[in-house]
Parts: sequence; structure tokens; C-alpha cells
Amino acid sequence: MDFLTFFGNDFKVVMPELYLFIVCLLLLSYGVIFSTSKLLNYPIIQINVGWLTIFSLFITLSLLISSPITTMSVFNNLLIIDAFSTFSKILIVGSTLVCCLMSMNYLENKQINSFEFFILILLACLGMVCLVSTNDLLALYMSIELMSLSFYVLAAYKRNSEFSGEAGLKYFILGAFSSGLLLFGTSMIYGFTGLTNFEELAKVLTGIHGVSDTVSYNGILIGITFVSVALLFKVGAAPFHMWAPDVYEGAPTPVTAFFSIVPKVAIFALLLRLFYFTFHDFIGFWQPIFLYTGVLSMIVGSVGALYQKKIKRLMAYSGIANVGYMLIGLGAGTVESMAGLLIYLIVYIVMMMAFFSFVLGTQSEKDAKLNTYIADLVNLGKTNPALAFSVTFILFSMVGLPPFAGFFGKMYLFLAVMQSELYVVAIIGVLSSVVAAFYYIRIIKVMFFGTSNHYVTYKTMDKMNALVLSGSLFFLIFFFAYPEPFLICAHKAALGLCL
Amino acid sequence: MFDSSILLSLVGLPLFGIIILFFIPDTNPDLQKNVGLSTSLITFLLSILLWLKFDMSTPKYQFVEKFFSVPYSNMHVYVGVDGISLFFILLTTFLIPICLLASWDSIKIHIREYSIAFLFLEAVLVCVFTVLDVLFFYIFFEAVLIPMFLIVGIWGSRERKIRAAYQFFVYTLVGSVLMLLAILYIYFQTGTTDVQVLTTITFDYQTQIILWLAFFASLAVKVPMVPAHIWLPEAHSEAPTAGSVILAGVLLKMGGYGFLRFSIPMFPDASIYFTPLVYTLSIIAIIYTSLTTLRQVDLKRIIAYSSVAHMGFVTIGMFTLNIQGIEGSMLLMLSHGVVSSALFLCVGVIYDRHKTRIIKYYSGLTVKMPLFSIIFLFFILANMGFPGTSSFVSEFLVLTGSFKSNVFVTTLATTGVIWGAAYSIWLYNRVAFGNIRTSHISAFQDLERREFMVFLPCVFLTFLMGIYPEIFLNAMHVSITHLIEQVQ
Repeated sequence: MDFLTFFGNDFKVVMPELYLFIVCLLLLSYGVIFSTSKLLNYPIIQINVGWLTIFSLFITLSLLISSPITTMSVFNNLLIIDAFSTFSKILIVGSTLVCCLMSMNYLENKQINSFEFFILILLACLGMVCLVSTNDLLALYMSIELMSLSFYVLAAYKRNSEFSGEAGLKYFILGAFSSGLLLFGTSMIYGFTGLTNFEELAKVLTGIHGVSDTVSYNGILIGITFVSVALLFKVGAAPFHMWAPDVYEGAPTPVTAFFSIVPKVAIFALLLRLFYFTFHDFIGFWQPIFLYTGVLSMIVGSVGALYQKKIKRLMAYSGIANVGYMLIGLGAGTVESMAGLLIYLIVYIVMMMAFFSFVLGTQSEKDAKLNTYIADLVNLGKTNPALAFSVTFILFSMVGLPPFAGFFGKMYLFLAVMQSELYVVAIIGVLSSVVAAFYYIRIIKVMFFGTSNHYVTYKTMDKMNALVLSGSLFFLIFFFAYPEPFLICAHKAALGLCL
Repeated sequence: MFDSSILLSLVGLPLFGIIILFFIPDTNPDLQKNVGLSTSLITFLLSILLWLKFDMSTPKYQFVEKFFSVPYSNMHVYVGVDGISLFFILLTTFLIPICLLASWDSIKIHIREYSIAFLFLEAVLVCVFTVLDVLFFYIFFEAVLIPMFLIVGIWGSRERKIRAAYQFFVYTLVGSVLMLLAILYIYFQTGTTDVQVLTTITFDYQTQIILWLAFFASLAVKVPMVPAHIWLPEAHSEAPTAGSVILAGVLLKMGGYGFLRFSIPMFPDASIYFTPLVYTLSIIAIIYTSLTTLRQVDLKRIIAYSSVAHMGFVTIGMFTLNIQGIEGSMLLMLSHGVVSSALFLCVGVIYDRHKTRIIKYYSGLTVKMPLFSIIFLFFILANMGFPGTSSFVSEFLVLTGSFKSNVFVTTLATTGVIWGAAYSIWLYNRVAFGNIRTSHISAFQDLERREFMVFLPCVFLTFLMGIYPEIFLNAMHVSITHLIEQVQ
């Protein structure tokens, strides 16, 4: 039984990923066998697969939380499991779990009966989970591709809607293009250093500025540029953001929720590992890249959303603005900024969960459709005041108004940015958040102070969305009372990467 | 019994009232109103207890307790009171029951949410004036926006209320985010946000100038100083009566408090450097807004612009940096809190009856509402700075203080008294005297007992502050002397 001792211990270490992968395959085979079975009259097993997915994600989460490994690199240094990657994986798997919960109702109502939806989500989750623990440029590319390919199909999931198909196609073309850029960058790095492993690259590139007169490293700089541009494409930062509004608007709403919440965590975790660990010595080179794109994203996201009338496009631009904040946290380059970025990420994903559970849960009674336009929310303050107040709190948190959680996320981030003495960036950041406040307040205005006679009755929110909305709202409102666990986790994860 | 934690009970009582209010159903609106009013009255009595137990001989912070501690950072938030903040707390707890009582009949929708908004506002305002930590002052400073935005937007009276709520929100937010950056810079440089520590630290000159400007951006919007004053007339004319009362009475004082507590002690050199700027803006405020008042047609706007003029006096007094000036500005803030609020209540009385605030429709109110006219006259004279009322004493002190500092500024500011008389007397003349216009005004009942009870404490306080201000100034002497010593 020699093959069992080959990478013997490593399989125990990657138990969560392994479990996720096996569950993927098992659910896929279960789905295929049973849904094409003539004997059982081709049953619709989407709900089954959905709940099994949720259950297995929950088990993965428990496997991750109770993982006894502190730091270990596995599979010949292809993957690395440490505190930072475990933290990111918990965030990713947790938010995927919540996204699946939010989408159950939508899939039932729109009668999207193909079970592959959950398989794709599981595969994307697997890709992202591997992405945050990569230790090698090859594993990086493969994880990104696994994640992105699942996303392309998910964006086009509504087969009878041209809108959705167009979104998927746009996403596919731009995503493939950015993956091409990524490959080009990684091949440049490999070509000029001969290494693909992050740890070995870090060792080789340490102190490279000291020998800069004898060693020419321009090739590596080109590689770094291409890699960062590709990753900025994936996350939707300006000036590479043009796909985001169209894709977010065209994709089915639970997929939009998934896009807004989870990939940002994965890609930022990857960016942190890549640039704070591997390319840290080139900070003078990549810091301006991230600061400029961050500032541009904040401005584009804030100003671009002012004209939007549709909810999903507004959320796309708001996502671009939030990516801008995260990028300046990334660009600041210190441990505090990393911890601030992680705290901001936690608060951001909870805010997005809250908002999208609201969007997914409010279906009009007449034709069970979700609201497309912001103007559809008119008079919500009169028909459904509890719901309207919940959304008000979520929006105040997005503006960054104390005492909600959004303020604390922004505060820790800007504290770290000020500590790195990037004053102009901080001033632009806060001013763009004021501009953003305008359109968030406009939604509140539409709900409460609207002057239209158009009243919409909504169905009672379904159980899953109500649970998600109330849980995340509880977090947002009472974060100020007990933020310790999140702060400690973020700091521990940040230190785990630096030490 | 309340000795050890009186300040926390001042914050906790309104919050407790909010919890009780949540459980009262909408079938019983009277009980809702009563619970809100009683909670605010009990809070007022507690704050009187605070005043009685206040030790007037020391400039140190009293009743200091730990509010809470932020983990992972050196922020331990204490609350405490000294001579400067004592009277702001009293003003707040005095005005909130008056607000709730004044809106007894005029608010008809969402009564419970209205009381909850005001009680929440009270709790946050007490926090603003007692917390001894720069970052948490900022947090509570901004948290005031939320209930005010909802009060103006939901219960406001006219169609432009949305625009007013927007302006109010965005103006304040722009200034305040710059102040946040300054606070974060201070935290980064000094490692602490505790006011008691920060007043002992000196920053170098250039840093002080930039930090002072950042704080000024936010406090100038709140005070309000020209040119960031435009939100005030809009917000006032759209807000419900009680909203205007609390806005004019307390929220404007937050800016003055911010200057006295943070800008001047922490950045003394920059304060002295920017004194000419503050004087110029204040003089412009006094003269320009008083003249603007002459063209207004809306009663509330007139009083709102006169508020800006009074706050011009306040800022002159604060930056004279001598004891008469600062005591004058403190007393003027208290007096303006009572007088302006009472004026807005007067306008609210006639708005409740005739549903319009345009002056054109009013004339000869004395004929049918004599009691109201007397009270209105009293407060118009108080607004003007008539001797015997509190504004006279305070404006006189301010002018004395600024005479020591700069004679030209004092001369221009004194002309402000003339402008004040101009618009006040003209306003009263048009509204109350003359022939009654039966085409617009039908006979309405004079003041109800409830409305009279709302005005009575305001009249009493104005007289008291005007005739014997030493009662109020007594508690401030030591703290303000200490403040001036810190600057020198």
C-alpha cells in the first residue's frame, strides 16, 4: 500500500478541501443518476442537492474551524496551510453557505430546476479555498481558473434570458483575457527567476534592491505588473471595472450576491499573500499601482453610482468603491493595514449579505418578481416599516455612519492608511465616501419620503432570507458592543502571514 | 444612590424609556406620549441633581467614570463633567421635555417612533457633552445626524423637506470626515485619544494649523458659520416645531462646545493664529445674516438666520480668549438655547392654528391672542438683546471681552445689536400689531394650558439669566479660567 504513504500526512492536512472536492463529485453523480432516471420519472432534485450542499459546507466549516494545523506546506510546497489561509477559508466557506441559503427561495420561484447550480457553487468555492492557500504560481493559475470557469457558467445560468447569457459571455471574454494576462505575467516571473514557488521567490528576491546595480530585475517587474493587472480585473477595480455593472445586472440575483461577496475575499487574500510575502521587496514598485487604482476605484465607484436607477447596477458600482477602499488598505503596506483590510472585509461581506438577502426576499405579491429598479421600493416605509428600517440600518452602515459596523471597518482601515502617512489618499477616500452617502441616502428617501401613489404589496419574506437578514443586521448593529473576536482573528491572521 | 454613576444613568434612562416604548401598542397613543414625557422629565430632574452636587471650586472633571474600553487599542472612554459641559447637559435635558410637550397635538403619525427618536437624541446628546475622548466625541457627534435626519424627513412640514434633510446630512458629513482624519492622525501620533491627556500634549506649529483647520471644517458647519450656514434655514423651515427647537437649542451648541473643549485647548497656537479668520467670518455672519433676515417671508427662516447671527457673537466671544469673552459666549449659548427655542415654539403655536408660516398672512394677532402676543413680545425683545433678559448680559460680556482684544471687531459687532433690533421689531410689528386680517386669519383660541406651561419655564429662565446670571456663571468661572491658563 505504498501509494497511501505518498503524500501521506498531506491528505490529513487538506481534509477540508478534500472533503469539499469529494462532496462535489458525490453530489454531481447523485444529481446525474437520479435526475435522469426514467424509473423515478425524472425527479427534480434541486432542493435536495441544495440542502445537501448547505449541509456539507457547514461540515467543511467545522472541519476548518477545528483544524489543528498551525502552519504546514503540503504537496511539495504547492499549497500552504497557515492561520491566514484558514481565516480566509472560514470567511469564504461561511459566505458561500449564506449565499446558498439566500438562493434557495429564488430557485424555487423561478423554477430553475437544474441541480448543477449548487455543484458550480461548490466548485467555485473549492477553487477559492485552494486559491487562498496557494504557494505556487501554477497552483495560483489553476485555482483561479477553477473559480472563474464556474463563475462564467453561473453568470449565464438563466437559460431563457438573453440578458443572463450576455452577461455570462461578457464575463467569459474579459475573464479569459485577464487569465491570459495572468499567465503571461507568471511566465515572465518564471522566465526571469526560474522559480514558481512563493517561498523560494521570496527568498530569492529578498534584498534585491541592494544588488540593483549588478542584477537587472526589470523582467520580474513586468511580470508583477501583468499579474497585478490580471488580479485587479478579476476583482473589478477601476480602470478594469467595465464588466462589473453589466455582469452584475445580467446575472440572476443570487449569483450577483455570490459575485459581490465571495470572490473579493479570495482575491484579496491572494493579493495579500502574493504582495506582502513574495514581492514585499518591490513595495516601491507595486504600492503606487494599488494606491492609484484604489483611488480611481473609489472615485469611479462613488460617482458612477449617482446616475444608476437599478438596484443591481448600483450595487456593482458600490462594490467597485468598496474594492477601492480595500486596495488602499492593501497598498499601505504595513501589518496594521493588513489587519484593517481583513476587518473591513468581514464587515463588507456581512453588509452585502444583509443587503442581498433583502433584495432576494422582497418579492411582490402579484407576480413573485424581485425589484429591479430603486423606484420599485417606493413607499416601503408605509407598507412594510420593519423591513424599511432594517434596510435603513444597512444603508447607514454602508455610508460608514457610527455606531454601525461599517464605520468601524472604515475607521480601522483609515487609521492604518494614516499611519502609513498617505494623507492625500485618506482625504480622497473620506470625501468619496461622502459622495457615496448621497446615493445610499437616496434609497432611504425613496422608501420613506416618497411621494408616489404606487404601493406594492410584498409577500412574506421566506424563512432563509429572513434568517440571513436578521443575523447580519444583528451583527451590523451590535458590532460596536463586542468587536473583540473579529479584531483578534484579523490580527492573528495578519500576523500569521508576516511571521 | 445615583452618586457613583449619575452620568451613565443620564444616558441610560432615555434608552430605558425607549425599551419601554417599544412595548406599548399603537392603540394607546396617549400612553406612548406620556411615557416619553415622563422619562425625559425624570432625566431632567437627575441632571438638576448633577448641578446640585457639582463642586464649583475645581476645574477638574467630576463624576468621572469609565464608559467602556475599546479592545486592541489604547482607548479607554471616560465620561466626566466640568464647568463647561454641565450647562449643556442641563440645556439638553431641559429642552427635550419641552419638545415632547410642544408636539403633543401636532404629531399624528408614528407617535411612538417620534418619542423614540427624541429620547435617542437625548441619550446621544448627553454622551456628546460628557465623553472625554476625541474619537467618541466624533462618533456621537455624527450619531446625532441619524435621528435628526429622520425627524426632519418624516415629520417635517413641507415638500422641500427632502432637500433640507439631504443638505443637512451631506453638509455635516463632509466636514466631519475631515475631522475624523484629524482625529486618526492625532491617535497615530500620540497613541491616545483621551482629552485629559491630549490637553497636556503640544503639537508643533505646522501640525497644529492643519489639525485646527480639519476640526474647524466640521465645527464650522455645525455652529454654523458663514459660508457653511445654508443648511440651517432650510432645515429649520422644514423641520417640525420640536425638531427646530432641539436643532436651534442644542445641536448648534455642539459646535461651540467642540471649539471650547477640543480646538482651543489642544491647538492653542493655531487658535491664536486663526483668530482673525474667525472674527472675520463671525462679523460677516452677524451683519450679512441680519440683513438677509429683512428680506425673508417665512417666520422660521427669520429666526433661523437670527440664530446664525447670535452664533456669530458666540464665536467672537470664544476666540477673545479672555474670561469675559468666553463666559459671555457660554452664557449666550445658554440664553440663545432658551430664547431661540421659545421663538420657534411661538411660531409653532401659530403654525398649528393657521397652517402657514408666511408673514404676509399674519397681522393683528394681539386682537385675538393677547396672552400669546405678550409672550411673543418678551422673546422678541430677548432675541434683540433687551436689558433685563439673558441675551443682554451675555452680549454685553462678549463685547466687553472682544473690546479688550480688538476694538474694530467690537465696533462692527455692536452694530449687530442694531440689526437685531431692526428685524426683530419689524417682525413683531407686522405679525402682532395692526388690523387683524379676517380674510386670512379666523379667530383661534389663545394659548392652551399646555402651551402656556411650555413657555413658562423659558420665560422664567430668561429672566433669571438676565437679572442674576451669577447663578449660572458661578459654576463656569473656574473651568474657564483653567481653559485660558492652558492657552497661555
